[in-house]
Amino acid sequence: MLTRRGLLTKGGLALAGLALPPLAHPRLSGAGGAGAVVEIRMRSDDRGAEVWFDPIGVRIEPGQTVRWIMASPGNPHTTTAYHPRNANHSLRIPEVAEPWDSGFLINPGDRFEVTLPVEGVYDYFCLPHEAAGMVGRIVVGRPGGPGTQPFDYFVGRPGTGDWGHVPVAAQERFPSVEAIMALGVVSRRVQGGHQVRESTVSRHDER
Amino acid sequence: MKRFGPAALTMATLLLAGCALGGGATMTAPPGGQYQKVSALAPLPDFIPGLGTLYVDPKTLPAGPFLAYDRQGTLVSSVYMVPVKDLTAHKAFENLAAAPAKVDHVDLHYNAGHPGVAEPHYHVVIWYVSPEKAAAVK
Repeated sequence: MLTRRGLLTKGGLALAGLALPPLAHPRLSGAGGAGAVVEIRMRSDDRGAEVWFDPIGVRIEPGQTVRWIMASPGNPHTTTAYHPRNANHSLRIPEVAEPWDSGFLINPGDRFEVTLPVEGVYDYFCLPHEAAGMVGRIVVGRPGGPGTQPFDYFVGRPGTGDWGHVPVAAQERFPSVEAIMALGVVSRRVQGGHQVRESTVSRHDER
Repeated sequence: MKRFGPAALTMATLLLAGCALGGGATMTAPPGGQYQKVSALAPLPDFIPGLGTLYVDPKTLPAGPFLAYDRQGTLVSSVYMVPVKDLTAHKAFENLAAAPAKVDHVDLHYNAGHPGVAEPHYHVVIWYVSPEKAAAVK
């Protein structure tokens, strides 16, 4: 997996020397297809009561790049793969894939990106907001791997005793693999002040 | 109202049980003493829209108080951060420090978490300025 990150400042990232061109599309830069960069915004409301990845679920092709962009002033976020190397979180990306951890993105416009060559399901979270349910899911090519398993799949298996459980609030926010495969992009929707699991959806080629 | 019951009780505890911080020294930034700028302790911006520039004595985390200053360096509020899990566990917070300033109004906000208090919690904001001036802390 390839990762690109900007200048590290006090635990956070600021973009430096990463001359990204203006986007031709708000969420899909480049000419489209396998070479396009898929963009995910890291958002919150003004008071930090609601936090979310936008979109929360995407389907991409092997070798495609995902770019997270900080879009909430005053409320830092991370994008961090579910992997034991990230503070003993449970493994929810393909076994042979490299985990990522962006560190804190502090300023609006800060960004972090990874290229994902290995097929499968990749679950990730925001470090300070995991307990509040700020998580996301990427399906690369065909779904497979630990991310397709129940959240407690590892219980009782050797070597997993110190793995942490996915918080209930986070479990409830993941879009289903089926919805991502069928629709390409899954965005969160607010109903009655609460996030719902999956909802307003559009395909890459419709946005 | 039911939803805010525990937080309201905690706020009352804070107001009744607080002990004063060191006089006028806290009214302008930096407050001195053991207080440190929050952005030097955790990966947060120097100025947080809606709150201001925050200082805290690390020994008091997570509750605080966090002393909040506007862009001119004037104390505008004290913020207490109370984890939701502590409220539901009926945990008490007693003898928290308080700034020697006249309280104008109080806000209680749910917050999903942030570096330093990375879990859902309530902000109990004791404002020393009017709602209009509080809204201008941007």
